[in-house]
Parts: sequence; structure tokens; C-alpha cells
Amino acid sequence: MSALITITILALLLLYLGLFKAKKALLPVALIGLMVALVLSLMEWDSNAAPIFSNMMLYDRFAVAFSGITIFLTILIIALSKDYFERISSNVAEYYALILFSLAGIILMVSYHNLSMLFIGIEIMSVSLYILAGIKKRDFASNEAALKYFLMGAFSTGILLFGVTLIYGASGSFDLEGIKQYILKDPTAVSPLLYTGITLLIVGLSFKVGAAPFHFWVPDVYEGSPSLISAYMSTVVKVAGFAAFLRLIMFSFAPLQDFWIPMIIGMSVLSLLIGNVTAVYQQHFKRMLAYSSISHVGYMLFAIIALNGSSDNAVFVYAAAYSVATIIAFGVLILLQGQVGNDSFDSFNGLARKNPFLALTLTIAMLSLAGIPLTAGFIGKFMMFSKALSSYHIFLVVFAALNAMIGIFYYFKVIVAMYFKEEDRKELIVPVYFKLVLGFSALVTIALGVYPDFIASLI
Amino acid sequence: MNLFYFVAFLSIFFSLLVIFSKNPVYSVLYLIVTFFTFSIHYILLNAQFLAIVNFIVYMGAILVLFLYVLMLLNLNKESEPMKSNLLKVVGVIAGLCLLLTVAGSLKLLHASDPVLLKNPDIGLVRNLGKVLFKEFLLPFEVSSILLLSAMVGAVLLAKKDITKV
Repeated sequence: MSALITITILALLLLYLGLFKAKKALLPVALIGLMVALVLSLMEWDSNAAPIFSNMMLYDRFAVAFSGITIFLTILIIALSKDYFERISSNVAEYYALILFSLAGIILMVSYHNLSMLFIGIEIMSVSLYILAGIKKRDFASNEAALKYFLMGAFSTGILLFGVTLIYGASGSFDLEGIKQYILKDPTAVSPLLYTGITLLIVGLSFKVGAAPFHFWVPDVYEGSPSLISAYMSTVVKVAGFAAFLRLIMFSFAPLQDFWIPMIIGMSVLSLLIGNVTAVYQQHFKRMLAYSSISHVGYMLFAIIALNGSSDNAVFVYAAAYSVATIIAFGVLILLQGQVGNDSFDSFNGLARKNPFLALTLTIAMLSLAGIPLTAGFIGKFMMFSKALSSYHIFLVVFAALNAMIGIFYYFKVIVAMYFKEEDRKELIVPVYFKLVLGFSALVTIALGVYPDFIASLI
Repeated sequence: MNLFYFVAFLSIFFSLLVIFSKNPVYSVLYLIVTFFTFSIHYILLNAQFLAIVNFIVYMGAILVLFLYVLMLLNLNKESEPMKSNLLKVVGVIAGLCLLLTVAGSLKLLHASDPVLLKNPDIGLVRNLGKVLFKEFLLPFEVSSILLLSAMVGAVLLAKKDITKV
């Protein structure tokens, strides 16, 4: 709760700083404020948390862990934003404020205990993102991304809301506990409205996380948005959407497993297939990252398929590994786009000779995304696969392993281009903030890969 | 009860006029009247708040938006797309399918127990306000962030950038 208040006040503060033309102070204030919010939210670590505000919010370990990681990732991304927004327009304060507003929505999404809070959280997050996707007003791709995201997002929110109403109609409650009690009362004789409601909720939420077959907006939106916002969308927003998804299913719908597991398996298989196979054919790094983010949703869905008490842990580790690696990739992408103006794989040629540090961090990120041992991505995949195996989804795991191999192929394209293709090029200038973020993220990736116990049994 | 039947007749009558009037502007005007009859229905059902919201938001805001869009679209005979007979047949079949589905689902469904109205005065503004400021206080307050972020965004997108030289 205090994290939510801090972030909201911080956003207002930044708006005022923008008003009084204190441009230099924006970034430090945002970073310090977010760190305060991070500490405050970690201080609420409490295993017997009770719902607050007449059962609207439950700031339990799950909520603390996921709001902690989303705030942490936002700090990393905002640190990359030095001099980034200034190039777009002079309204820098508003951009920071909008990012923070959407983070406030995300805090609600990971800590809700009532479907109305989930809805408001998703709306706050999405509305800010629709705007952020379109901040390059003169850029056609950015406009397209904003409009597409807005239309798709509005539809998916409508579907989600319809699901919430139907669930209310069946169970008479918005409260997660109330819905659970209604289902537990007689799991075999629940109203058909509830089944429709669950389906619609799952559809709405998978729109938000970008799981196939509801993924078609992802590549265009990620490609068209400014790279920093794409980084935010493919890490923080995806983690939050997944946390909301998992929380809903863990709290309320676990007794109806037989109904929704086939749906989730279908979505997972489709996401893996579409994400990985399409990513192979991409010529541009950013679009490849968009498709790879779809495939990673497929892996993360494993935790929901094999739902049990440690699903939240598996998602947490996987989300952390995936997000940190993705931030490195987007960091390099931002530098490359800013200084070369192109993000095709060819523009990576010979990067290792001129910028060994960049090449090294990007290699670590790619290895982690591909799931090579001794990186965090391997631990994430390992936890997901072992979860799926523990509930006897053997074919699913075999299929996922095959897909992971396809994944290695396209992630290595970048590494091959950097190290083995020679080309005369200028050295990229890497600002200090980038060095810090990239180096730190690479360290985290390695540290998690070597010593996963650190967060593996946290929640 | 007589009042209900009279208002119900009016709603159906005006909604038919919406479909059958040739001029789209008249259609929208009839739609306004139709929504007004809905508001009367809500009042008859003792749902003050819904009636007011329906009156302000639907009749006031959304339909004015409709009229604006019609003005901007500048509909007339020339710009009307040709409707072939095949299209009409398809439309009729699709409409009947929808009707069949609605009728079938209405027959199957029954009011589920938890949502039966326990307190007939629940729709009064005063009771709604009490719920809003007690049980739903947090979502109510938090929606202010939503409004604020939408406002900041609207200004940000609509404001003209000072062109850099």
C-alpha cells in the first residue's frame, strides 16, 4: 500500500518539477523515489497479511515479490532513459509521470483481492501505455502502434469486464475469496455463467500478456513504440499481467482445473509455436524480440498448467530472468538505433571488436533468453519444465524443448553477427548510465544462474 | 403496471423509428427519445442512479458524439455503399440466428440466487453513495489516478509541439 502511495505522489511531484522547468532533477528524483517505493514495499514482507480496505487489497508475499520486481525493473528502465525522451519532445516530465502512473496500476494488478481492483489496475496501466506508445507524434509507426494498442486494449478490457460481470452474476461476489467459496460449495454444480465468465477473463488477460492466439498486436506495437517503451511493455507490463493472471487462477479458480487447463495448454502450445517459428524469419532485432516475448509467455503458462503452491515462485524466477535479459537487449537496441539508425541483424556485425563490453552483455542476455546453463534463463526454464513434468505433461515438455532449440537458433544469430562477422564500423558511445544498467543486469543474470537459491524459494 | 406498458410501447415504437427513418440525423434524434424512455424504465425500477447516468451520459454525451460523427461523415445517397440482395438475405439469416440464440439462452437461464434483489432500495443514489464510500472506497479513490493519467495523456497528445529548429 505504501508503495502505491509513494509512486503516485512521485508521479505528481514529477509533473510539478516539469511545470517549474527543473529538467535536470527529473531523472534523479524518479530514481530515488522508486528506490524508496521499493524499500517500502519490501518492508511489508509479511507471511500472514490480511486483506485491507474491506477486502479490496491483499499485500501478501506474492504481492510484495511481484511489486518488488516490477519496481526494480522500472528503475532499470528509467535509468536507461537519460537523454532519451529529450530527443522526442520537450515534455519529458509527463513521460516519466505516465510511466509511474502505469506502475501504480501495476501495483494494483499484483495485489488485488477484488475483481474491481483488478479492472481499475489494468485500466490505469493500459491508458498510460496507450499514450506512451504514441509519444512520437510525427512518427507513423508510433501512431499506428498507439492506435492498434488502444483498439485491441479497449476490446480486451471490454471482454475482461464482461467476464467479471458474468462471474458476479453467478457467484454474487467480486471478492476472490467469495468466488472461491461459491465454487467450493459445490464444484460440480456451478452456474454455466461462471464458465463463460472464466473463459472471457482468461481471454482478456491473455490479450494483455500477449499469449497466442491473442498476440497479433504484439509485433506491431512493440516495433512501432519508442524502444524504451517497448522495453517497459515487454518486461514490466508482461510480468504484471502474468502476476494478475496467476493470482486470479491460484486464488479463485483452482478447483475448476479440468475446465481451464485444456484452454491454457492450447494457448501455451500456440504461443511457443508461433513465437519461435516466426522469430526465426525476422530480419530486425526489435521484431525478433517481440516474437520471442510471445514464445516466453508460452513457457510461463506452464506454471499455470501445473498449478500448485510453488507456481508463483516459478513464474517469479522466470519473469525475473526473462525481464533482466530483455532489458539488456533493449538497452543495446536503443544505443544501436540512436547511433546507427538501423536494427537489422547486419548492423550488429563486428560489434565485438569495437564495443567488447556491449557485445559481452548482449551475449549474456541472449544466452539467458535461449536458456543456456549458468544463466538465469536456464534456471527459469528448468523450473518451468520440471513443474510441467511433475504433473505428467510429458508431450508438452518435449514440444517446449524442441521450441527452445529453435529459440537458440535465432538468439545465436545476434551473437554470430557480433563476434564472427567482420565489418568496419564506428565505436558506439555508451553513456555511464547504460554501462551501469547493462553491467548490473548481466551480473544479475549470471548470479541467478549460478546461485538460484537466492530467489528460487522466496514467496 | 399500465404506465410500464405505455413506456414499453413507446420504447419499441421509437426504436423502430430509429431503424426506419431515412435520414440518419432523425435516426439519432429518435435514439435519444428511445434512451429517454429507458431512463423512465429505470426510475420505475427504483434505480435512480442508473436513470441519471443514462440520462447524462447516454443521452447527453454519447449521442451528441453520434451527431458530430454524422456531421463529419457527411452521409448521402452517393456515398452510400450498394447493398446487394445477397447481402440482405445474409443479414436476415444472421439476424434470425441471433434471435434464436437469444431466445434459447433466455429460456435456459434463470435468475441465479445470489443476485436476486434483497434490498429494493439499493438503486437509490443515497445507498449507492454509501456503498461507494464504505466497501468500495479504495477503488473509488484509486480511479482518480486513472482519470489523472488520462487527462495528462490527452493534454500531452493534443498539445502542439514547439518545433525545434
